[in-house]
Amino acid sequence: MRDRTPFEPVIQLRHLSDDTKQRIFDAALQVLADVGASVSHPEGVELLVRSGCTLDDSGLLRVPPSAVERALSTVPSSFALYDRSGSQAMTLGGNNVYFGTGSDLMWQYDVETGEHRPSGLDDIARVARVCDGLPNIDFVMSGAYPTDLGPQGVYLATFLTMMRNTTKPLVLVAENEVDLGAIIDTAADLRGGAERLREAPYLLAYVEPVSPLLHPRESIAKLLLCADAGVPVAYVPAPLAGATSPISSGGHVVQGMAECLLGLVVHQLRAPGAPFMFGVNQGSLDMVSGQPSYTAIESFMNYLTIVEMAKWLRLPNWGISGCTDSQAIDAQLGLEVAELTLLSMLLGSNLNHDVGFMGFGLTGSLEEIVITDEFVSMNKKLLSGVPAEDLDLAVEAIAGVGPKGHYLGHPHTRAHLRKGPGQWRPGLLNRDNRDRWVEAGSVDLREKARRKALAILQTDPPAPLDPGLLQRADARMNTLRRETV
Amino acid sequence: MADYADLMQNVEGGKKDLVMTQVAQFLSEGRPPQEVLQEGLIAAMDAVGAKMESEEMFIPEVLRAAKTMEAGLEILQPHLAVGDVTVSGTVLIGTVKGDLHDIGKNLVAMLLSSAGFKVIDLGINVEPRSFAAKVEETGADFIGLSALLTTTMPMMEQTLEALETAGLRGRVRVLVGGAPVTQAWADQIGADGYASDAGAAIKVAKELGAVSS
Ligand code: B1M
Repeated sequence: MRDRTPFEPVIQLRHLSDDTKQRIFDAALQVLADVGASVSHPEGVELLVRSGCTLDDSGLLRVPPSAVERALSTVPSSFALYDRSGSQAMTLGGNNVYFGTGSDLMWQYDVETGEHRPSGLDDIARVARVCDGLPNIDFVMSGAYPTDLGPQGVYLATFLTMMRNTTKPLVLVAENEVDLGAIIDTAADLRGGAERLREAPYLLAYVEPVSPLLHPRESIAKLLLCADAGVPVAYVPAPLAGATSPISSGGHVVQGMAECLLGLVVHQLRAPGAPFMFGVNQGSLDMVSGQPSYTAIESFMNYLTIVEMAKWLRLPNWGISGCTDSQAIDAQLGLEVAELTLLSMLLGSNLNHDVGFMGFGLTGSLEEIVITDEFVSMNKKLLSGVPAEDLDLAVEAIAGVGPKGHYLGHPHTRAHLRKGPGQWRPGLLNRDNRDRWVEAGSVDLREKARRKALAILQTDPPAPLDPGLLQRADARMNTLRRETV
Repeated sequence: MADYADLMQNVEGGKKDLVMTQVAQFLSEGRPPQEVLQEGLIAAMDAVGAKMESEEMFIPEVLRAAKTMEAGLEILQPHLAVGDVTVSGTVLIGTVKGDLHDIGKNLVAMLLSSAGFKVIDLGINVEPRSFAAKVEETGADFIGLSALLTTTMPMMEQTLEALETAGLRGRVRVLVGGAPVTQAWADQIGADGYASDAGAAIKVAKELGAVSS
């Protein structure tokens, strides 16, 4: 994959004062120090206690501010992800903005039939293929859960399918340290050794604690495994405001930060300097229906705060984009995708997942991925801003054309058609007049996106992987299946 | 006809102390305990349910009302005949082994208890055997199984097997739910009922209760 210049917005959104951010951070430290957390991983607990945390009789572990400060002083403020071939593809940190899918959706809108049906392994292949062909999708998560497979080894099977169908960097979910171990071993095999994988990580693991303040054995085990292997890891809670975290924006972020930062402390104790990603998923619960939401406006407010806190702490951040609560590929989808994606771009949020998510993380749509790609493309243009130093004021061209003339024939216009202030060309959005649009079949955005996804699926897949690599992966799969039966 | 409007209002408003005093007051006035229960406490929760339906009340307020009703019930309990109180039956509820998701399960538990079921919550990551053991211990009428992961759905089946092995399957109705769970899955594993959300869970549990009694 091309090692492209990272996109960094010139126009940026910030709304919290330094004082407010300090107060939020202090409150998170206070929660860690006074309330503590429940950590169900003996080795993790030992690591924490040895470095100054305290464990009380009720099993609550308290983390002093100094431990957090120490972790913050060793964690890198940026790290890179590399594609399948080993070229650097993403530099996560600063205000660099990247987009990719989310994982594990149980249902899909079938791109061929429009039917809403359970997801299968084929959907993971399709999501990866489509993402591979879209220039503004930078990384890939599974996009689907293979409901057609038995539960043993699903996440390894998912990983292998993704690796076959895209060359872009991968973000992965795993059940526990055993299947994650098999995935990391396969990635190391691809690179030609664990050390090469450490130098050029091909994947980032997405690990979640349980809000409120619970760190399950598996979560800590996966976190420590990543620390040992030098594989980047995002340790991101998903508190639902009003249900598993306070309903207020401040409270939601404070608790979420306390959860994430505990992960940071364990991780940096185990491997100082290992790559770690900060984040808090920003869901909320509808207080009438009990239905959770990713795109309730309050949760967007929480999101702004979370990303600003990441910037303030100088940590690469986990973000969100391209998703909707809508159950249909409709105008609500367009609206929510647009708002969330633009917010992520304006915030300079680093790794923005969940492109293609519908109906609160249960349904996937290739059309939505294609639409988000177009939206990102167009707004990269907008947010590059007007370059002050290279401001083309065109006074000469104005003089040359004078009153009553036109610019269509002027060299200045020709010279700028394809660069600088020239026009961004839509791939999907309609600019046809009525007659032409009707003549072309009155095709709407959903249908255009569908056709584009289908067209990408017709192109050649990425080069096949080394059969030896796949054989060894199969052997790992067999072991995994045997062990988990 | 006694006037329970005030009591009902206090249940709805979560005024625990007032409700307890009022219930005691009604009893000392010689009102039939059954009447206080049906026309006061249960009527109040029916009204709360309706207000939730019409989006006038929020979940945390419903939760508080349910807790308030329970407080009133505690005062009433010694005066009621056996069988009067557990209007709808006892439910053992839990998230199956390997699964840590509990928000949906908690909502279902909360609404079940506000609908008059006695709910025993076994929490998350519950072993199939534990469900079976608890049925013996508590004599529960229902088991509610929640699973949010496709990988943990088979644990529902294993829980049914554990009940079968323990010779308890015939004694309990099993209700299943959670995002990946469907009616088809419920049928496949031989569960008695499936509900797509907490409201439906109450309805299904009541229907199952009516069938079994
Ligand atoms: C007894 O009778 C009944 C009857 C009805 C019943 C019932 C029982 N139980 C439920 N119902 C029904 O009534 C309820 C009320 O209306 C409803 O309950 P629900 O639970 O559906 O609804 C609740 C009110 C709100 N919904 C929720 O609370 C679930 C929301 C989502 C986003 C979710 C959350 C919040 C979490 N998660 Co998880 N999580 C997702 C979820 C996506 C989704 N939309 O479901 C899902 C379920 N998670 C998933 C995954 C992959 C994971 N999660 C994990 C962890 C977590 C958190 C801890 C972060 C958190 C849970 C916190 C908690 N205390 O529960 C991990 C697994 C941990 C484990 N071993 O359990 C992890 C593996 C991720 C990881 N990186 O490690 C996906 C599952 C994919 C699959 N096919 O299996 C997922 C669909 C999200 C996604 N698309 O990736 C109905 O289903």
